[in-house]
Amino acid sequence: MIAGPGPRSRSTRIPQWVALGVLALFLAGAPSVVDSFTLSQILTKALWLGIAAASLIFLSSYGGMISLGQTGIYAVAGFTMANLVHAEGGKNLGWDPVAATAAGIVVATAFGLLCGAIASRSYGIYFLMITLAISVIVFYFFAQVTTLSGYGGIRSVTPPSVIGNPVLNPLPLYYTSLVASILVYMGIRYLARTPFGLALQGIRDDPARMQALGYNVALHRALAFGVGAFIASIAGILSVWYTTQVSPGGVNVSQTINILIIAVVGGLYRLEGAWIGALVFSLIDNYSRVWMPNVGDWLGPERFETIIGVIFLVIVLASPGGLVGIWESVWARRNRAMRGPMEGSGTAVDVADEAVEPHAV
Amino acid sequence: MLRPERNVGFLRLLATAVLGMLAVAACNSTTPSTTTTSNVIKLGILSDCLGDFGSFFNDDLGGALAVLAAHYGGKASGPLPKDGMTGAVIGGKQINIVGFGCSDSTASKAIEETRRLVEQLGADIMIGPLSGDEGIAVANYAKTNQPNKTFLNGISGAQDATLKVQAPNFFRFNPDGAQWSSGLGAYAYNKLGWRTAAVIGDDYAFPYTSLAGFIAEFCAIGGNVTQRIWPPLGTTDYSSFVAQIPSNVDGLFVGVGGAGLITFLKQYQQVNGPLNTKKIMGNTFWPDPQLLHAIGTPMVGAVAASGIAADDNSAQTTAYKNELAIYPATQKDAASVFTLGYWSAMTALGLALTAVNGDISGNQKALQAQLAKTVVDGPYGKISLDANRQAVFDNWIVQITPPPAGGGDPGIHTILRIPNVDQTFGGFFSATTPAPDRSNPTCTKKTPPPWVGNEVPVTFGT
Repeated sequence: MIAGPGPRSRSTRIPQWVALGVLALFLAGAPSVVDSFTLSQILTKALWLGIAAASLIFLSSYGGMISLGQTGIYAVAGFTMANLVHAEGGKNLGWDPVAATAAGIVVATAFGLLCGAIASRSYGIYFLMITLAISVIVFYFFAQVTTLSGYGGIRSVTPPSVIGNPVLNPLPLYYTSLVASILVYMGIRYLARTPFGLALQGIRDDPARMQALGYNVALHRALAFGVGAFIASIAGILSVWYTTQVSPGGVNVSQTINILIIAVVGGLYRLEGAWIGALVFSLIDNYSRVWMPNVGDWLGPERFETIIGVIFLVIVLASPGGLVGIWESVWARRNRAMRGPMEGSGTAVDVADEAVEPHAV
Repeated sequence: MLRPERNVGFLRLLATAVLGMLAVAACNSTTPSTTTTSNVIKLGILSDCLGDFGSFFNDDLGGALAVLAAHYGGKASGPLPKDGMTGAVIGGKQINIVGFGCSDSTASKAIEETRRLVEQLGADIMIGPLSGDEGIAVANYAKTNQPNKTFLNGISGAQDATLKVQAPNFFRFNPDGAQWSSGLGAYAYNKLGWRTAAVIGDDYAFPYTSLAGFIAEFCAIGGNVTQRIWPPLGTTDYSSFVAQIPSNVDGLFVGVGGAGLITFLKQYQQVNGPLNTKKIMGNTFWPDPQLLHAIGTPMVGAVAASGIAADDNSAQTTAYKNELAIYPATQKDAASVFTLGYWSAMTALGLALTAVNGDISGNQKALQAQLAKTVVDGPYGKISLDANRQAVFDNWIVQITPPPAGGGDPGIHTILRIPNVDQTFGGFFSATTPAPDRSNPTCTKKTPPPWVGNEVPVTFGT
């Protein structure tokens, strides 16, 4: 018997909203629970890193494109904005920070569309290499063009007045990052259900068949890359407000890999994985450097890369779906056990759900 | 027939919520109080344990901690500096090392790590960072966000950190990159007969400053720098940059540093043959023991400048080396500017804290006033501060000598003392002059810095 949509809606959406409510309450109330350092250096950082990783997960899960270019694209947004406002270094053009922010996002999105147009006909390892090249080119461009940055970067970047000084008062930036994260999450979920999103998922699964059906595969992939660039550019702007500066050292190949690690650790095929991965990354980044006199230094300051590398390997080997994947596989096993041998898979609900869910591999 | 629904979306959200709450719970349970009890001074030390300068991490920490062990009762928690130290008392106050910052030579990580030490772990006083751009960023952070805490530079040497930023609570007891190069411009012009020169250095703040010192002095006397070459920091293949070095100049001044210098010198020799040490000289990185070990005899005869007279065997220098004995590996690298920089900062802090009886109340103003007038009697001369809280010191011109008979690494023979080198080069640099960069300072003939013509010939170890 096929389960109808009615019972599913009632039984899943109510707890879903409860879960959303719990999460919203927690996130909104976090500033009153944690100290300002944790709010800033762990949660705010996790939020903007999560947005950057979400742009990668969007491309990967809905478009089948694993991009290493997201860091380069968010760097373009950050450097554009930093050059336009009052700052030390760079052009220091004195624009209004809000206008400069909009300009940064527009420029980075346009840059992303251009990169997408170049990379959209490539697949697999070739796509990966082209997008890696984008990040490397952006890094060297800003490191070498001293009128726009130079290796030392742009310091004391003026944020909009509503953000203020994020070191002295991290609250506005936290809430801005939170709202941006929610909008990005909901936006991607919405986009996945539009005809464009559905076509994109079709292209992800079988580009040749979609081409035969009359879809312009390269255009869809290029546009998707542009959407990913738009999301990444939001992360780029937030990252500059977060550190109050932007320098090539912060957007180098190492950071490119970090974004990929965050996405893989969280779950490369689940949108929520972006923020879960970013939170785990921020916690390890911070706490692995804590020196503990009673424990010794086996977790000492320079162990961060080893720890994150081991976690990455374990995740890749044990759960290609990342931390979210672990949870799902545990739940799926439980479900299978409860269903018994008579229940097969592939009901209409499952099929309909898969059409809008990211591709779980 | 009923069957359980696939509640994956709900579960994902719930998992996110639970993970988030657990994380926050973990953060709160491990976040120590940031209040300072009256008997404890919390100290954070920031250096690079990753990136181009990561290999100097223990030498940096060792320089600072050795002072606590030698003078203030510190007990090492393990054989390496990074194992930590407890039990030090200065001015009646217990020195509690809250942690070691691990940066990677980027400004953003230096700020993150400084914030972790200051804001999360509650450090009252910071020592660090290591490299140029990090120093500018930390000085800005100190000035803008933490005016009531005290920051002592580790060994970062970008000119701007003190000359331009002028944070009242940021103290640098080591020279900037330009000061370290003092004396070399005059040596190249007067002793080696250079009239034209090319310079090459990594493309960031410290080498800009380091080469600026050579250019300012060399050009002020009448020399001409015809080409400036800037490989990006982290370059691993210098062949294209070696090819850019013009052949029609009298000499080459090398400001490549860190891990890149060894690669650069090897590739330079592959293209140009053995080093002609009359036509090439280096900045403060050249007398570094690690470099002398890696390159060996081809460097013999080359001249460089350094804040260190490694062959000095005076009682003061011996005492310094003895202080480092608690960490044998650091003691072996006693001639490293990294070790000396962190040693100088901690020595100054110890003297100032002792003078104010460990009083860090009143937003540490008494301590900061004391630091501003503290003079460190270092192993290679006295170090005092100018009005921008920047070191005034004696620089040393050294020549690399052959390895001892029977093998080993080349040594150092100090030939000149450059007295009282200040950051401005006698007015050449100021808060309003353009910061050193790829094209600044311009090569112009001016009144030479005051030490030109006043160099003092020295001979140690004979």
